Amino acid sequence: MQEHIQLTPKEINQELLSGVLGTPKWWLGLVAFLLLVFLTGAGAFGYMLNKGVGVTGLNRPIMWGFFMTNFVFWIGISHAGIMISAILRLTQAEWRRPVTRAAEVLTVFSLTAALMAAPLVHVGRPWRAALWVFPYDFGRGVWPNIRSPFIWDPAAVMTYLTASTLFVFVALIPDMAVIRDRATGKWARQIYGYLCMGWRGTPRQWKLQTVAGILLSALVLPVFVSVHSIVSWDFAINIGVDGWHSTIFAPYFIIGAIHSGVSAVTMVMALMVWLWKWDKILRPDHFDAIGRLLIIVATTWFFFFIVEFFFAIYTKEAPELALRELQIFTRPYVFLFLIFIITAYFLPVPLWMFKKVRRNVKWMFWTTVSVNVGMWLERFLIFVPSLARKTPLEFNWGTYHPSIIEMLMVAATFAWVAMGMLLFSKVFPLIPIFDIKEGMIVRDEVKIGRAIVPASIRE
Amino acid sequence: MAGENWGMIVDVDKCIGCQACVVACQSENNIPINEEKHFNERRAIEWIRVERYWEGEFPDVKARFIPIMCQHCGDAPCEPVCPVFATYRNDEGLNVQIYNRCIGTRFCSNNCPYHVRFFNFWEPEWPESLHNQLNPDVTVRSRGIMEKCTFCIQRIRRTKRTASRAGADATDEEFERSLDPACVNACPTETLYFGDFNDPESKVSAMKEKESKRDGRAYTMLENLGTNPGVIYLKKIDKHAEDVAHG
Amino acid sequence: MASGNGAHGALALATPAQVNRDLLERHQRRTGDTYWRAMALFGALFVLGIIGFLMRLSDGFSDKAVWGYYAAVFAFILTTAQAAPLVAIAPRIAKGHWRRPISRAAELWSVVGLFNLLLFIPLLWVLPSLEDTRRTLWFFDAQDPNFSQVPIFSPHIWATLALVGLVVTGFMLLWVSALPDLAAVRDSASGWRQRWAARLAPNWQGTSQQWNFLYHRTGILGAFYFIMLIFVHFLISVDFAMALVPGWIDALFPITHAANSLQAGTATLLLTMFCLRQFGGYKDYIGLDQFWALGKLMFALSLLWFWFWFSSFIVLWYGKKPSEQAALQLMMVGPYLPAFMAAFVLNFLVPLFTMIWNPLRKSIWGPTLIATSILIGTLFDRIRIYVPAYSVPGIGNRFVEKHELSEVPKSILPDMADIFMIVGAIGGAIFIYLLASKVLPVINVWEQKEMLLYRVHKPFHRIEVLVLGKRD
Repeated sequence: MQEHIQLTPKEINQELLSGVLGTPKWWLGLVAFLLLVFLTGAGAFGYMLNKGVGVTGLNRPIMWGFFMTNFVFWIGISHAGIMISAILRLTQAEWRRPVTRAAEVLTVFSLTAALMAAPLVHVGRPWRAALWVFPYDFGRGVWPNIRSPFIWDPAAVMTYLTASTLFVFVALIPDMAVIRDRATGKWARQIYGYLCMGWRGTPRQWKLQTVAGILLSALVLPVFVSVHSIVSWDFAINIGVDGWHSTIFAPYFIIGAIHSGVSAVTMVMALMVWLWKWDKILRPDHFDAIGRLLIIVATTWFFFFIVEFFFAIYTKEAPELALRELQIFTRPYVFLFLIFIITAYFLPVPLWMFKKVRRNVKWMFWTTVSVNVGMWLERFLIFVPSLARKTPLEFNWGTYHPSIIEMLMVAATFAWVAMGMLLFSKVFPLIPIFDIKEGMIVRDEVKIGRAIVPASIRE
Repeated sequence: MAGENWGMIVDVDKCIGCQACVVACQSENNIPINEEKHFNERRAIEWIRVERYWEGEFPDVKARFIPIMCQHCGDAPCEPVCPVFATYRNDEGLNVQIYNRCIGTRFCSNNCPYHVRFFNFWEPEWPESLHNQLNPDVTVRSRGIMEKCTFCIQRIRRTKRTASRAGADATDEEFERSLDPACVNACPTETLYFGDFNDPESKVSAMKEKESKRDGRAYTMLENLGTNPGVIYLKKIDKHAEDVAHG
Repeated sequence: MASGNGAHGALALATPAQVNRDLLERHQRRTGDTYWRAMALFGALFVLGIIGFLMRLSDGFSDKAVWGYYAAVFAFILTTAQAAPLVAIAPRIAKGHWRRPISRAAELWSVVGLFNLLLFIPLLWVLPSLEDTRRTLWFFDAQDPNFSQVPIFSPHIWATLALVGLVVTGFMLLWVSALPDLAAVRDSASGWRQRWAARLAPNWQGTSQQWNFLYHRTGILGAFYFIMLIFVHFLISVDFAMALVPGWIDALFPITHAANSLQAGTATLLLTMFCLRQFGGYKDYIGLDQFWALGKLMFALSLLWFWFWFSSFIVLWYGKKPSEQAALQLMMVGPYLPAFMAAFVLNFLVPLFTMIWNPLRKSIWGPTLIATSILIGTLFDRIRIYVPAYSVPGIGNRFVEKHELSEVPKSILPDMADIFMIVGAIGGAIFIYLLASKVLPVINVWEQKEMLLYRVHKPFHRIEVLVLGKRD
């Protein structure tokens, strides 16, 4: 059973720097296409800026729609990076090695996408939105209202963005040194030399880099938990919206975020195998491990979903019951609900139970795409129907149809993240070179009778 | 001259659903014309609206009307969630909206259980012929911000100013009528009463005291949320139900 | 982290045969005085508990308020002892090697589940039926034709079934994972131990089919124990606490209840480990690695305690909704504030500010002391939830209007019978654990032996390193 392919350090360099030192054929075309989609979205935003929020499908009482859904979706995706990197690094799971970099970069780009998705664009006067993040107008003693979750929100997201950028950077230093030594252009050499901050690979430097990685992992975990908790409190603290007012929201959102985030990482892994042909490094057992993790995460998420749902009808209050009726039995939400529940849980999880599926790149890609479709709809189904059945004043109950402008802007965030990852892959390796090399070194085997068990060297 | 607690009493029993209050409010407060398309889009702005509910089965159907405006809650859910302090409770018991500060997150609207906070989706527009009817005392709100019933704060301000010039109290008999918001003025059936709940002499205080007794009709809307509204409703007297109950 | 007993296995137990001999011999050795003294002490406490229970019984079951402390101590045992086996199950599923010396000690706690099942029986009489129209898991409503058919004793029936299921699963898990050890006892011991072992493991030969069966079944039973535990916590926390307080709708509470039990279960196991090491003479097996690993786990779970509590609290507190304010008043900031503060400090603040310091985490005494703090804190936490919940009179009086608490009842302090019952239940649980520890080897022999197979010391460049295997 040759599960892993042992490569020499030189081969690893060649393999993983293929995207940085050369340009794959498809790269430019894909980036151009994504840029086009992104610019279309940006144009849609410009139109909205010019005309007003009226160009969306928002109305009273559905004051938050696609933008907020998309915001929470991207915040959710951003939880993958830390989940994979920090937790698995702290627990010394070997299979994390080829996955960490892509996951962390996905975190950074999805966080920027989240920042683009809602706070900046969905408000009525975006040109003044900056004023809500920074204290302004000191002279008259006007400060932001720290009681508002919308002040906690940017604080948490910005902290998370800073922390995860640092996280990416610390892990990049040894790799940037590798590129510095191999870059041919004068400029490239200088820039990488500047970025890797004099990395020579001395034992002291390695020690500092490892300690920094572990420290950042431990410190970023509370941030990771706080971010999505706070995002969930944007909704849960509302007493005006019965469907949102649930104590379970913080853990429910976090586990949902991990569900969609880890799925997104799996998608990226599959794409790395297909686009850059890194199948010598990303082995079926990596997909197997992440598949098993996904089964546990998905099932926990599903449990939270059931509990959340259950305690909504536990109250037996009219708006809650009306909301659930709208969510599950009323067209068009019934279709969305069915798609959501099937794609987010009942299709992928039974499939992941089969080892064959877990070890197959294609299956894993499409099942995780399905999860993300479902999880996007999940957010939508939490936010919009709850607003549509806000309180017992049924005279005001409403419905919502997104406009084309909103759809274009949502598409733009997807294009932005994909484009960001591709641009990143052009300047930095998407798989940590040093980590793979270390993994190759510490990998070993233990013989027990006739069986050979994979093993690793521990200090 | 602070310390008032402005409030309203709505006698639901008297409301005939004529919507005169809505129109009065519209013209007093520079609210753009609500055309049919605005209602279809569910984006009409009505600081006061008359909700109509049908009750009973055909042929014994009754229409019930209830005027709803900003409840000027004592513990308003909309206030703490605004990130920029664009809405707060002032010391006159009013829940006020500061248009300049508002950035339009619409968080307050979501957290308002009464659906009485409105968002300006578009720049407001009036037909040419109506440009001269705009009330000079009221700001025209630009797009992208929230607005809501102010209890016609411009009238309160004006009355106080005039009263202080005349050296009198704004709640004096003479001035009381000019304090009333446009909707109260317009109501043909005296459904709405406006006044200061902190002033024990005022008409609303007397009514509140009378109707809050055991067999009184006073209630506040969505009481279980504990928002402590400044608008008190008086229950409809259901003659038919009483007849049925007493045989 | 996961290097087994590492440097602290002072005795050179290098071969499986040595481990086998040593552990079986320890198991069959004549028991020492410490053991009998402990038995006497906890037996006495247990008797005290029975006296307390009889005293309480004289009050009858009609007033549920006096049974609050009893319910709290039942929930405490559920939260601590019955969760301890999970600490063996989770790392076994995650293939953490450090669990090996302590997995049996953890699984043995499932025996105490039987004791807790006995404790549960009186609560069936204490809990009112659904006829008082409270909100419940079962949606009973006498007026609504759709829901008037629900049996009015649904909470009693289902909670009993779930608890029985949990206890049975616990015993099955203990038995299946002990099969190889029982076989070893069967083949090497004499007297009653041999007879029992022969009866419990008659067919174990150690064929590869049997081993596969064992791995498979321990995995499934472990997962099932986890699911059952969550389920039991769900039913108990909602039907036996939350539903009794009108207006307290906290969707997270059942999960918090279960998450607390993970923390308290880890603490229970840490204390057990400490006793085994200090008084049981297993210093060679239970070393720093176990304390360190469990200490880290406990630290993480203590942070989780805060997060779960705060997630509930912020949502209930922020909205200023009267029904939710009343619930907070009842259980947190009102008459039970001291109990809540004690729980908050002991369960979160103390672990946070001490365990953040690695030298303390990586010691024997540190995690043990913090575990004690957490166990005391958990007891206070259960008291501040169950006692007030049981002190709320049923619907239809001055305290309760519809689904809202309009007046917070006064605090109830424990009387003599309550204190007897608390110490008695805890003493009884330990008493039963001590008894059980004589039936099976307290250290898992086969897992301990197996670990030796996975660990290899190899030269690597100029140093010698430890190579650790992990099965797929």
